[in-house]
Formats: sequence, C-alpha cells, structure tokens
Amino acid sequence: MSILLNRETKVLVQGITGRVGRAQTKWMLEYGTNIVAGVTPGKGGEMVEGVPVYDSVAQAVAGSGAEASVFFVPPAAVKDAARETIDAGVDFIVVVTERVPVHDAMEIKDYASDRGVRLLGPTSAGIITPGEAKMGIMPGNMFQPGRIGVISRSGTLAYEVCLNLAAAGMGQSTALGMGADPVAFTSLSDLLAFFDADPGTDQVVIIGEVGGTQEEHAARFIADRMTKPVVAYIAGRSVPEGKRMGHAGAIVQGDTGTTRSKINALQKAGVAVTEYPGDVAKLVKKRLGQQ
Amino acid sequence: MKLYEFEAGDLFRQEGIPVPHFIVADSPPQARRAAEKIGVPVVVKAQVLTGGRGLAGGVQSAESPQQAEEIARRILKSSVRGLTVNRVMVVEKAEVAREFYLGVTIDGLTGKVVVILSTAGGVAIEDTARNHPEMVVSRQVSISAGLSLPEAKEMAQEARLDGDESARIAGILHKLYLVFRKYDALIAEINPLARTVRGDYLALDAKLEIDDSSLFRHQDLTLSAEDPLASPLEKKGRQIGVTYVELDGEIAIVSSGAGLAMATMDIIGRRYRPANFLETGGGISEELLYNVMELVMQKKGLKAVFLNLLAGINPIHEGAKGIVRFLREHPPDIPIVARALGNRQEEIWQILKEGGVEVVADVATEKSVDYLFRRLEETR
Repeated sequence: MSILLNRETKVLVQGITGRVGRAQTKWMLEYGTNIVAGVTPGKGGEMVEGVPVYDSVAQAVAGSGAEASVFFVPPAAVKDAARETIDAGVDFIVVVTERVPVHDAMEIKDYASDRGVRLLGPTSAGIITPGEAKMGIMPGNMFQPGRIGVISRSGTLAYEVCLNLAAAGMGQSTALGMGADPVAFTSLSDLLAFFDADPGTDQVVIIGEVGGTQEEHAARFIADRMTKPVVAYIAGRSVPEGKRMGHAGAIVQGDTGTTRSKINALQKAGVAVTEYPGDVAKLVKKRLGQQ
Repeated sequence: MKLYEFEAGDLFRQEGIPVPHFIVADSPPQARRAAEKIGVPVVVKAQVLTGGRGLAGGVQSAESPQQAEEIARRILKSSVRGLTVNRVMVVEKAEVAREFYLGVTIDGLTGKVVVILSTAGGVAIEDTARNHPEMVVSRQVSISAGLSLPEAKEMAQEARLDGDESARIAGILHKLYLVFRKYDALIAEINPLARTVRGDYLALDAKLEIDDSSLFRHQDLTLSAEDPLASPLEKKGRQIGVTYVELDGEIAIVSSGAGLAMATMDIIGRRYRPANFLETGGGISEELLYNVMELVMQKKGLKAVFLNLLAGINPIHEGAKGIVRFLREHPPDIPIVARALGNRQEEIWQILKEGGVEVVADVATEKSVDYLFRRLEETR
C-alpha cells in the first residue's frame, strides 16, 4: 500500500520536452512509472521516450486519461500551468520547479483547495512509492519497498534517511518531498493524515528543517489525532539567524523557525526526535519492536 | 530582497502612501544641502538593512543644516549593528501626535496574507502582540480575493479608531496591501505611521522585502544593486551558481543538497565549527565542482574540507573530475574528505582517490564525520 501514487496511477509530465523533463521522464519510466502523456505547448505530436506529447493538458487528459501530473516547467509558467491542469480535472500535482514566486504559490494553493486538488511543492523532490512508481527527481536506488512513511522538506536528506532505513532492513510505503519554500501547497499535518489512514504504513518519519511553523502545527495534529508513531529529525540547529540556507523557506527569523521550537513542540506531542539523521532508523526500529 | 528605507519610501509614495519629504545623501555636505532644501528641523537616518537603528544611534534629529552635516559625518561610514552606512536619508521632521503600526505579510502555514493594524506604533509588532494583544487587529485574507477597502475600514473600526482617522488609516492600509501585492512582497510595513499635530498622516518608516523568486517580473525596478548583507565569498558563490553561506568555523562543507548540508553542519558541530554552508543544487558538472573547491578553499583558517555527495540524478562522477583537477593545480595542506554514495559510486571513489581525496562511504554521515574527526586528531 501507499499514499497518493502507485503503479497504476496514470502520470502526465509537464515540460516533458525540456532538458530536465526529458531526462527525468526516462528515469521515471525505467522505474516503472505509468507515464501516459507529456505536455509542452507547441510540441504536440512529438514523442519523448515513447510517450506522446500534447499541446495542452486538456488534450492530454482526453487522449490518455492522465490523473496525476509532475511539473518540470519554468517558475514563471507554473501558475498558469497549475490552473490549466486543475481545470482539466487532474487531481494530484507534483511541482518540482524551484523559485516559484511565493504569491503565485499562494494563488495556486487557493485555487486548488477550492477544487479539492492535492499538490506537493513547490521545490518538491517528488514522491516515490518504492518498487512501484515515482514522480519527480528522487533517485530510485536510494529507496526500498516497506512500511515506513517518509515526509521530508528536503530531497537529499530523504535519501540519507532512507538509505539508513534500508541498511537497517526497513523500506518505505511512500516517501515524499513536501517542498522547501515559505508556502507549501500541502501542510505537514495533511500529509501525516494520509499516512495515518494508509493500511500499508506502520510508522511515519518527518524530516524537517529550520524555517516556518509546519512542524509546530503538525505537533498539534499528532497529539490530537495521529494514531501511528512518529519519528522526526529537524536539520539546521547551527543555522545563523536571518540567512536563507539554500531553500527559500529555510530561514530563522527572530524566534520563528528555530529547531528548538520545532523539537520542543514535537516532543511534547510524543514524537521521538533524534539529534542526528542516522539515529532515525534506530528509533524507528526500536518502536517497531515495541508494537 | 530587502529594500532600503529610501527605496521602499519611493515605492510607497508612488502608490499614494503619504511619505515625508526626504533626500538621500552620501556625503556630509550633501546632507547639509538636503537639510537646507527641506527646511529644519530634519531627521538624519542611517540607511542600513537592519532593525533597531534608533537604539544604535543611527537616527538623529538636526536643528540646523550644519548640525545635519555633523550628524552625517558621524554616521556615514560608521557601522550600525555590523553594517556599514553608505547613505543617510535626510527627512522632514514631523511633530507626532499619535503613532500606529501597519503591516502586510504572509502566513506560510495557511498560505494566506496577514494584514495587521495596531494602535501601538514605533515598537516591534511581536512585542505588542505579546504584551498588548488588545491593541492589535489582524486578519487573514486570501491572495486571490485580496483586501478590499471596506475590509480595511472594518479593521480600522475594530481597532476603535473614530470617524476621519478610521477612514484615513483604512485608506493607507489598503494602499499598503496594494504595494505588497504589486511588488511580490514577503513583507510590507509602516512602523510607525504617524498622525502629526497638524492632522496629517505620514509613513515615518518604510519596510519592504521583495520575494527573490519574483524578481524576473520586476526588472523595471531600479534598486541599489549591491547586497550589503552578502560577504565577498557569498557573492562569489552566487556568481558560480551555488548557495554559499559564510560561517565562523574551520571545516568547509560541500553538499549536493540543502537539507543534507544543514545536517552535515549539525554533525560536524559536535566537535568543530562549520566554516560554511554550501549546496550545489542539481546542476553538478566538472566545472561547477572545480569552482566550488576554489571557493570554499579561500576561507581563512580551514582545518579540513568535508564533501557529502549523494549521487542520484546529479552526475557526481563528472563533478569528481573537477574536484580532483582543482586539487592537482592547488595541492592542499589540509585533509580533503569525501563521502560519496549512489549512482556510479565505484567510479566516483576511484577518481577521487587517484586525486588524493580521502574517500569514505558510510551509510550514515555521522560515521564518515567520525573518520574526519579522527583524521583531525592525528594531524594535531
């Protein structure tokens, strides 16, 4: 079992004819992803890695039955592409694109939530259901099928933790990047709720980082509603105030966004929080032993 | 991107927010002429991108043009909260009867715009919210709908402002929202907005931070190009296309991702201090990692370089050639330790080893950093 993506999900790739889109489409297909169509305006009729390219999302959906879409479109085009995709009836969108204007992300979030559409990103590394399918740029060889749900702000730290989980004999039901921008399309709490409801997930790992208040808010959800155990690692306790650390959202501003505040909130909610990423696998294993 | 007060003030004025008459000066004589032109008394304000300028002596009143010149002489080229003052703003001095706070910002969690009006101006809004929540009115609005003038008026009434004052402040709040929206701001703030004894309303400060990701659509803005908040090495990082944040330590860090770089800092911080944060992003090439090595090695007082590279979609085998090429041309006198895992790892290890890099390949970064610690103990 998994959340949001499995081997049957019919996936559309937007920006498929670009350099990144083309390369990633090949990797996603090799992994087993059911990619049914691509879209690049003006490139309809072409084929990329055997995948038919359409001019518009509406045409792609009509021609292929696509139900989920992954974006490799330039930042300035993301807002219009998202509206077009939502209007065409696609209900799950992964925005890999970095540097999407924050106001655009807010508009997209409004538009999607009014219409019941789920998005990951912006600046999401993607989503992978190991052994089945992946949307985005996560390298397949760093993940193993299993029963741990993984939610990460960052891509590379998800790889690190999943490598360690695999070395300890544990795989993932689904691992996903929720995005690393100041505004995330889907909150950490909502993603936790998906895993809590998934019969294929036994435990959930949160890989957070400095910036924003997602973890603090999720702590309330965990305390009040979450039934499965949660383990967390929050990166960046040595980050200086006022400096953006690579990710647009990774910034400590005054007392807001510190690891201390996140760790305190999560620990109060009963989450096992590790000091270093390598300890995540140990704690997950320990909890599995207790179940 | 944070704007200077005079830049934000210009934009506020263009959008119809009342801003006092001001002139920017970068020399003491210019400050005197500015004061003559505006008419004393004036306030001389250091233009630096930090809060708390007043307490740090960066904001002073002048009763005569000569005094404005003297103040400018003291402030210019001085340091306010660690930042060098290159310009002062000479501003008409207002006689203040009452102060307010107006702000528009973003709630990252909900993705909504937060509009704030407070009857306590001139102090940090966080403090007012903590100590006098009854003086703060705030409202979340959806960016698609925006803040309407009637909504701004409701907020002013909620703040118990009466008749004319309520209408005037609501109008300015509404305009501030429009500035926020027009310029893709992360925050737009007037603190304080003053009512003068003559009954005028004036923005006595102007704060605007524009979202860097939106700058492609604000190219008509002519802003001061220099970024005083970035160190020379940080600027160099931008030039070569990586995020480099200079820190105060002795171990340089190179990582293939931002999250992994922060975690590596945490782990190295057990015994040493990181000299920098560096994230390569997804565009690794031979050239890029050559440039990256050149950049991180420029930091003074380094004891080691630690590279943490996870090869997924990134062609790290290409990057490894750049690392090695740099080290051949500039033989290091400190340990260069690389943890590399993932696609084509054997190939990466071989290239790095042949180039004199100490390769570690533990599944956990902690173990590889332990190796680095042992190496540093040996060399001591």
